[in-house]
Amino acid sequence: MRKLFDRISYFWITVIETLLRFFPFPAKTGMVKIGSPDSNSPVFLTCNFQLTVRRVKRALKGIDCYLLVANTRGINVWCAATGGHLNNHSVISVIKTSGIEEKVDHKKIILPQLAAPGVESKVIKKKTSWEVLWGPVDIKDIKEFLENNFTKSEQMHKVTFPLTERIEMAIMWAFPLSVFLSLIWIPFFIDELLALWMQVWGISLMTFIFYPIFEPILLLEKRQKKYAFFGWSKLLILIFISSFSLLGTVIYTIILNSFEPWLFARWCIFSLIVSIIIVIDLTGTTPLFKSDTHGDKVFTIKVDAEKCKGTSICLSVCPRNCFEMSEERNLAIFKHEQDCVQCSACIVQCPFDAIQFEDQKGNILTPETVRKFKLNLSGKRTIRGNQS
Amino acid sequence: MKVLESSPHRYDKGIRILTLGKIDEIYDRLIEKIGKGDRVLDIGCGTGLLSIRAINKGASVVGIDINPQMLEIAEKRAEQFECQAELELLEMGVAEMDRFEDSSFDKVISSLCFSELPEYELEYTLKQTRRILKEGGLLILGDENKPKNFIKRFLNFVVRFPLVIITYILTQTTTSALSNIDLKLRSSGFEPISVRKNKLENFIEIIAGKSEEYLS
Repeated sequence: MRKLFDRISYFWITVIETLLRFFPFPAKTGMVKIGSPDSNSPVFLTCNFQLTVRRVKRALKGIDCYLLVANTRGINVWCAATGGHLNNHSVISVIKTSGIEEKVDHKKIILPQLAAPGVESKVIKKKTSWEVLWGPVDIKDIKEFLENNFTKSEQMHKVTFPLTERIEMAIMWAFPLSVFLSLIWIPFFIDELLALWMQVWGISLMTFIFYPIFEPILLLEKRQKKYAFFGWSKLLILIFISSFSLLGTVIYTIILNSFEPWLFARWCIFSLIVSIIIVIDLTGTTPLFKSDTHGDKVFTIKVDAEKCKGTSICLSVCPRNCFEMSEERNLAIFKHEQDCVQCSACIVQCPFDAIQFEDQKGNILTPETVRKFKLNLSGKRTIRGNQS
Repeated sequence: MKVLESSPHRYDKGIRILTLGKIDEIYDRLIEKIGKGDRVLDIGCGTGLLSIRAINKGASVVGIDINPQMLEIAEKRAEQFECQAELELLEMGVAEMDRFEDSSFDKVISSLCFSELPEYELEYTLKQTRRILKEGGLLILGDENKPKNFIKRFLNFVVRFPLVIITYILTQTTTSALSNIDLKLRSSGFEPISVRKNKLENFIEIIAGKSEEYLS
């Protein structure tokens, strides 16, 4: 009976929070027992976005362990870590106040790898004497990670954008948009509601399903390293999508068998607006590019060969496998610049401050600034911020 | 202060709108009991507005906050008022309060911070506060409150809703509210000495002392 109830609630949480993915859903924070853990059981940590907590619990089924749910204000791990809500303090707090220290004999905690831009393992160690181990990006790999004695394969390091996730992102845009636009449409054209929903969902799903076609265009512009909020690559994609949505408009007018010019014009404008909204921060909706709202999307990673001691911590936290170790000496090399998403995990984690951001003009953004200034709507991580 | 960490430079403005400009009066009342020579801990000192007021009354203040950007503003403000010597700013969360010695503070003040703490942190904070306060020390709180009365809660929602929207648009900040703080204080070994609520009961100011019978 309980199992059935669990399944039903999991289903509904998935549905609701996928539709409203844009908004935070805080889950209860603190310590959760999974199975029947003892004093040697592993300790995991996650954010308190409800959907994540549920998925993590499901993935951990069968492993006797403790799960610490840190207070990230209902935001998912990666966004909370880069946006400043999953930080040293939220980790220290849950370690010290949840009662975990009395439950286990060891002091090792497994954090999701994507928490690395926000949580400094060095600080956690110093302030709580707990050692941070960076787990896999995807919780689904957790069993393999444990079986292989806390080592990760290259694939377990890497953030990808598979079809299921792309559809989730499409829904994230489509649902609130169609609800909002319906409210505007209902007083005037209530009989067009079905077409409205089909158009909005069609445009969003198409954009994300066909995303692999757009990716090379976005990469091409990224290679130019010029900051633009709405660059030529997005313009191209916009033209592509809006002309495709024009097809929907034509079909709609044919079905209605009404060739009233105002109806056609209205739907053209509508489709264009929806396409613009979805394309405007297309890069920010993917985990493969940095949002265009951030100026540091054109910054480059620089490794200071003098300071680098070859700890290879950057290799273990980079979600895009950009680093390689030099074959000649113990040194990390930033090799795959094209793949970098400027998440800054490597900069934050490097214990010797050997990694820095550099802007187009060669100005340096120090690790200290990167650690201090998180990225969010009003985040100001610029070279200027560094100097003031 | 939920999303406030995202925009410290606009924080003070946000709080001013949310409290309809009453925040200054509130701060003034919160520091009423602070006297010359007091050693004060300001939990969640933020941009340092309350800390500096306490310093002006002759206290020396340790201000803690988890947000380095807010602390930076506090530091600049301290320079401006030339009271850097009396204000020690530490970037740390309440979970690290165990670093302070027993009975080392005369007063612990906090404004708009306790409501941001999850349940287990609040409990921990109260426990630690009781430990670090001297005999006869006071805990002074000013925070948003969830009214107990249903009608007031509803009225509060109606009144606050537009304010919350305006504030969010202007500053991307918002706040949350404390519920049953008096009960929580009592169960953590504090005895409220004075409790002041506004008419809508959406803001609460409490002065509490250590109660004798509490055995930790």
